[in-house]
Order: sequence, then C-alpha cells, then structure tokens
Amino acid sequence: MKNDPSTAQVWLAIALCPAIAASDTLTGALGLGVAALLACVIGALAGQLLHRLPPEPRQVGLILMLAALVTSLTLWMGAAAHELRGTLGILLPLLAVNAAIVWRGDQTSTATPGAALRMGLVSGARILAILVVLGCTREFVGRGSLLYGAGNSLGDWAGKLELQLFPADMGFLLAMLPPGAFIACGLLLAARNWITHRHELSENRRNF
Amino acid sequence: MDTNAEPVRRPQRLTAVLIVVALALVLAALIAMIESATRERTRRNEQAWIQQRLDVLVPPDRHDNDLLTDRIDVVSPDILGVAQPVTIYRARQSSEPVAAVFRTVAPDGYHGPIELLVAIAYDGSLLGVQVVRHKETAGLGDQFENRRTDWLPAFRGKSLSDPPQQRWSVRQDGGDFDGFTGATITPRAIVRATRRALEYYGAQRDRIFASTPPQQ
Repeated sequence: MKNDPSTAQVWLAIALCPAIAASDTLTGALGLGVAALLACVIGALAGQLLHRLPPEPRQVGLILMLAALVTSLTLWMGAAAHELRGTLGILLPLLAVNAAIVWRGDQTSTATPGAALRMGLVSGARILAILVVLGCTREFVGRGSLLYGAGNSLGDWAGKLELQLFPADMGFLLAMLPPGAFIACGLLLAARNWITHRHELSENRRNF
Repeated sequence: MDTNAEPVRRPQRLTAVLIVVALALVLAALIAMIESATRERTRRNEQAWIQQRLDVLVPPDRHDNDLLTDRIDVVSPDILGVAQPVTIYRARQSSEPVAAVFRTVAPDGYHGPIELLVAIAYDGSLLGVQVVRHKETAGLGDQFENRRTDWLPAFRGKSLSDPPQQRWSVRQDGGDFDGFTGATITPRAIVRATRRALEYYGAQRDRIFASTPPQQ
C-alpha cells in the first residue's frame, strides 16, 4: 500500500470478490480467511522460488504452482476440516486468484524469500481481517448471532462459542444476501478512506 | 511478456518447455502424495458425517445392522427424477426390515441440486427428511435451517395416503405443505423429491429389502 495505494486497493478489491461470498457468517469468513492466508503465504514463496527460472516458463510455472497449491489445500481440508470444505465448496479453488494477485500486485518476484514471506503474510492477513469484520457485521445484523454453525464446521469445542444475541427472525435479511456483502464492503472502504483522509487533513494543518 | 526482449532462440525455448514439463511432473507427484495421504481420513470423515445424520433419522436402538454397509444403489430417473444412482440405506432389526433411508437429490432447487436424506419406515410413513447439502439463497431458501426449524420435522408421519397424493405439494400449488415467505422453489423441490422417494418405496418396497446385504 505504501508505493501505490490506488493500485493496491484495486488488487485487494479483486482479491476480495470471490471471498466475500463466504462472509455471511463469521464461521465461513474465518475458515476462508485462514485458507486465504495460507494460500497467500505459500503462493508468495512459490513466486519467489520461480524467480530463478528464465522469464518464459515463469508465468506458466506460476499458474501450475498455484493450481497445485489450491488442489492440495482442498484435499487437506477434506481430511482436516471436512464440514468446512462442504461449506466453502467452490470458493477454495478460487483462492488461486488471491495467491496470484499477491505475486503480481506486490512484485514479489524481485524480493528476497524473507520479503516474499512478509508480503504473503501481510496480504493474507489483510484479507483475513476484512473477511472477519464483514463476517461479524453481516452475521450480527442479518441473523443476530455470532459463529453460527461453528460447532458443525470446526468441531465441538467451537460449538460452545456460538452466540445468539437476538432471535434470528428479527435479523435484517439484506445483510445475509449477496448485495449485503457488497454494501458492507462499500461501507468498510468508505470508513477506510475517511480514516486516511482525516489523517492527511491533520498533517496538512500541521504543515501550514 | 516483455515485447522489447530479444527474440527467443530455439535452445532457450526447449529449455523453457523442459522446465515446465519437469515442474508439472513434480507438482503432479506432490498432489498424488497428498491425495493418498488424506484419502483414508477424508473417507472416514465422509462416513462419520453421513452416519451422524442417519442416526438422527433412524435411532441406533431401532436397528442392529450397519446402515453404511447394508445399502443398495438404484437408478430410476422416471420415478426418482434424478439420472444418477440413488443410495438406499436399509435398517434391520434381527434381519426384519425396519426402515429405508434414501440419499436422494432434489434436482430443481433454486441454486442447483439439494441433497436430501429421506427416511421411510417399513410401513411407508416418513421417519424424517434432512437436507444434507444445498446452495439455496441464505436467508430465503434456507429457512428450513433457522427461521422455520419446524418445517422439516413436519414431514414426520406423513405418507403417500396422508395427505392424499394430489395434495402432496406446497400450498401455492394447492397442496398441504407450507411454503417459505419469499422462496417458493426450494420447498417445492424438497416436497417433490420426498414424494418421489415415497412413490419409489411404495412401488419397490419388497425389492428394496429383498436383496441380501453385500458381503463386507
């Protein structure tokens, strides 16, 4: 975000598109967020590894690597978190997009392994954080609960964390539907712009 | 690709192809390794997952056989409405038939197929209906999960004669079953698939229970 905030924001928005579908409950958002974090970190490292290759096979190699990465992730989830894989379904393979964007958007190919790791972590954590905020808001507004269905997806221990704050009937349905995801995302973006803008304003005032 | 780069020479192109092929082979081997390492766990997860649902529909104290192994696959697009095979789990107590659980599909859900478990007691009445997988619209089509938790249990005790066959549909179509506010297609699909399972059971009951359990 430091070098070119507008480009980074566009990349982030593209990266979020498939992911926000899972943010109608906090459980889904957490699951996909963690998977995205993993995909971004491994994807960034893979991109760095491929940097040693000549430029021609690099693009194809990266696509191969990312495809293998999300396939492995899906297989692993079937063994480790079976129910969650059912919930996330088609969204898991789509994480390849997120991983590819980390590599392209941040020019990881020229960075050292350490820098690539950091970039993957930062991008993944950013996606995770946004998903968690969206998941919390949409689930709370839409059905008055938090971590609904966590017991099924993550195991019995998580079932104890499920919270019902007001009856689901009274929830604001729009928040659960796909448009709710975009509205919440837009509000989040507006809040972010406002915070950045306010910061700039106070800096300007100091300069004068 | 950079357009200013010098034209690719032949040996370089060969190297590039070899590198990509080698990478593909390595990655394929890696995926095969992960697949074989996780296959057993995934299969057991799948079984535990379906067993958990079967136990709710047919309580374990009602039968003494293993439903997961005592099953048959039937293909009947005409009656069941799906082209792919439908698995029927058979529950028996001392070899006497107790119930049959259809793992069927309502093909006409709003967002694609809805996977169902339809449990039918030996006398032809419904023990229960469960939705095992669906992609219905959150908040509208999925009301059987949260807003209308009484909707699926209402199937219990129903049979082909209660309500009569022509009223085996949602209220909007002149039937006896409630629809959801804002979502007609989902309940209609579930009611229709349930009715179809009942019809198949009514026509084929003896054949469903006749075939001997497969040897393990």
